[in-house]
Amino acid sequence: MAENYVVEMLNITKVFPGIVANDNITLQLRRGEIHALLGENGAGKSTLMSVLFGLYQPEKGEIHMDGKRVDIRNPNDANALHIGMVHQHFKLVECFTVLDNIILGVEPNKLGFLQKKEARKKVVELSERYGLMVDPDALVEDITVGMQQRTEILKMLYRENEILIFDEPTAVLTPQEIHELMQIMKNLAAEGKSILFITHKLNEIMEVSDRCSVLRKGKYIGTVDIKDTTKEELSRMMVGRDVKFAVDKSPAQPGEAVLKVRGLTVPSKSHHNNAVKDVSFEVRRGEIVCIAGIDGNGQTEFVYALSGLEKASGGSIELCGKDVSRATIRQRSQAGMSHIPEDRHKHGLVLDFSLEDNLVLQRYMDAPYQKGGFIQREPIRAYAEELIEKFDIRSGQGPVTRVRSMSGGNQQKAIIAREVDLNADLLVAVQPTRGLDVGAIEYIHSQIVAQRDLGKAVLLVSLELDEVMNLSDRILVMYEGEIVGELDPKTTTVEELGLYMAGAKRNTGRKEAAAS
Amino acid sequence: MKEKKERTLWNDGAKTVAASLLSILMGVVFGGLLLLLAALLLNNIPLSSAWEGFRIVLGGIFNTGRDYDRGSAITFGFNARLLGDMLFRGTPLIMTGLSVALAYKTGLFNIGAPGQYLMGTAASLMVALGMDTSVVPAPLVWLLAFCAAILAGALWGCIPGLFKAHLNVNEVITSIMTNWIAANLVTMLFDGSRFINNVDYGKTGYCLKTSSNGVATAKLGLDFGGSSANAGILIAVAFAVVTYVVINKTVFGYELRSCGSNKNAARYAGMNEKRNIVLSMAIAGGLSAAGAALYFLQGDVEFYWHTSMSLPATGFNGIPVALLASCSPIGCVFSGLFMAYLTISGSQLSNLTAYNEYIADIIVAVIVYLSAFTLFFKSLMDRKKAGKAGTPKSEPAPAAPAAETVGKEAQP
Repeated sequence: MAENYVVEMLNITKVFPGIVANDNITLQLRRGEIHALLGENGAGKSTLMSVLFGLYQPEKGEIHMDGKRVDIRNPNDANALHIGMVHQHFKLVECFTVLDNIILGVEPNKLGFLQKKEARKKVVELSERYGLMVDPDALVEDITVGMQQRTEILKMLYRENEILIFDEPTAVLTPQEIHELMQIMKNLAAEGKSILFITHKLNEIMEVSDRCSVLRKGKYIGTVDIKDTTKEELSRMMVGRDVKFAVDKSPAQPGEAVLKVRGLTVPSKSHHNNAVKDVSFEVRRGEIVCIAGIDGNGQTEFVYALSGLEKASGGSIELCGKDVSRATIRQRSQAGMSHIPEDRHKHGLVLDFSLEDNLVLQRYMDAPYQKGGFIQREPIRAYAEELIEKFDIRSGQGPVTRVRSMSGGNQQKAIIAREVDLNADLLVAVQPTRGLDVGAIEYIHSQIVAQRDLGKAVLLVSLELDEVMNLSDRILVMYEGEIVGELDPKTTTVEELGLYMAGAKRNTGRKEAAAS
Repeated sequence: MKEKKERTLWNDGAKTVAASLLSILMGVVFGGLLLLLAALLLNNIPLSSAWEGFRIVLGGIFNTGRDYDRGSAITFGFNARLLGDMLFRGTPLIMTGLSVALAYKTGLFNIGAPGQYLMGTAASLMVALGMDTSVVPAPLVWLLAFCAAILAGALWGCIPGLFKAHLNVNEVITSIMTNWIAANLVTMLFDGSRFINNVDYGKTGYCLKTSSNGVATAKLGLDFGGSSANAGILIAVAFAVVTYVVINKTVFGYELRSCGSNKNAARYAGMNEKRNIVLSMAIAGGLSAAGAALYFLQGDVEFYWHTSMSLPATGFNGIPVALLASCSPIGCVFSGLFMAYLTISGSQLSNLTAYNEYIADIIVAVIVYLSAFTLFFKSLMDRKKAGKAGTPKSEPAPAAPAAETVGKEAQP
């Protein structure tokens, strides 16, 4: 063996019913490197890592460590081989302290009595050595997501893991926390740890990785040195074609107002203040209005009140000239509102239903999908097949696939297909690209622009600055439940937008103009 | 592709049946061991009884009693009467099973079936005994009694439904409370009624049989050698088919399943989930109560109403019936009959051997208990296959996890 590989996954093939998740994939990890694993949603990244972590057994292929073949049958085997993983959704006991979580499963004890002192010493030492600042006595439920992630990393280090797998670690972090995580990863690599970094965010790969392996639709595309490549090349490898990072759209040609919100006020569930305070604005035909803001500034509550999931305590909502402030969810949808919800698993889909049953979730009560109270299977199947074709929704078994088994990107496509095809006058899209890869994001953005160009009013709620700047025709910034500014994306900068979002700046004059 | 899909489905079905049979077999074998243990420990049971008992449990309704001409050996063969009794005993079990299964599809656990069954019992008996058949024709009285039972059960079912829908009170708690309210209410009503059976000397707390008023379910030729069987079983099967159609083929059923599977998504799609919860519980209550009517309107069944005894086992047994059938309405017909089959095997055991009814009940319970291991055996089979093919261990359901979803299904 010419090179010193700490882990080699050779010719791994893993098949699930209806889909080849990994098709003859080879991945070689050098000692002390940060190796990114890049691919679209559904490309097989997580499956490959689950094979390495012992969650799945591959049909074909071998895993070698330090040149010797190893057999990883379950996560315990992986642990014994010093392989650790930070899952995208943390596996922490919420009501335990950080320290308790770190020692969970490997509690140091004498005759069954916990010896936390040594453990604490080791944890403090580790966190200082790698710059992982976290209070060992804080309860996990009280600390930020970023700190929870550090706890997970400390868990791996405490177990003296040498190979660290990070499964989309930045998906849940704020920009500041992402920056800190990148630094931590560099520190870890400098200390000789080998890191596998699963992501589909190209900027992060360019910033932190040494090499990058790309998967596409279960197949291995190639491995490149980061210093010899560009973002564009990586995205071409990942998607299989050139990807546009900027959204292609012509200037907006707004028509009459479709949605008029007047003085909307929504009480908060978590505190005594109102979550949404006296919000007024309009959305017109043929424009994309974006509500920007940092998470937790009332956007969720506003959308709930707008869609009818929760009651507003004041103000009015007018949709296509009709007052829908007191209308039920169904009445609002019939009056012309379609809605891509923020939480696709909670509100968007019935995960245990088939794809076709999910695609008619807003239409099942209309002819021809029902007749005399009976569900009509044939028209539903035909409609589902049409949408699957039109929106390129990929799944193992077509219309009868259980939605739970589909990839996140395709689940989101299913929701978008369903809502866009309602052909409503107003499309409310909340974080429509959260957790999706560049290919899917590009597609969803183009769909949203297409809706605008068809003369629909689009209300976009997003936390992603790039999305806000690229997609919208008008930006409303929400801070602590209020609209603190209205900006034109063509004349504003990201920095200025950031100041509004942080509450450091506001242009109340325009707000009053909109309210009058 | 299509061919492959069908084969997977068939494999899945065959596996389920195989797993069910395997768990029933396990139950019977374990029951046999218990019989042997009881024979060894209890002085009054000879060891030979254990073997006889095991054969009775195994033979079930196909035993024909003791043949005293051949040294009182237990004989086996077709026994029409026991078959008929199984159909009759199975009828209310199918109905309570349907009740639990339907509520379960809407995400509700209907432990209120006993109370609903009891309300159905009371309503049907009061109408059947209270209306003078010399004025109103008996078949009409039967029909009215049946409808009264359904109404009473629906009312009783919709109380927990209303609490759940509007105040978000867990239906298990309210159902248990309505069960006991029903038990006391029914006792009170019958204590003060004129339907007390004073004909048979020495009995207290027994109700008149409905045949005393000329009301009895039509036999429709389902006699089976003088058994209690009647057209009720046909009605129960019809209810099962209707329930299946409602759940799987109608818009209403689609809404019920949506609410049961993801309440938030159903609500977001504009469904009225509160109405669906109440309706689902009301229908479940009606089904339980209809089961009671089909049982007591047979004509020759006595109702014993003492409070402490009156939460009927048939109501609770709806839960294992539904779970054995994986909450499939059609499956409830088979699992309901299976429970009846076991009950009759148990009573044959205490009739024909030295085992008393308590041991018989324990054996039956053990068999039912092990039958519930169907899912366990099925996942065991999947896992065994997985050992070769490499399907995930953590996921017993043979779903098709498209690469990325694995392990991150709960996106924030």
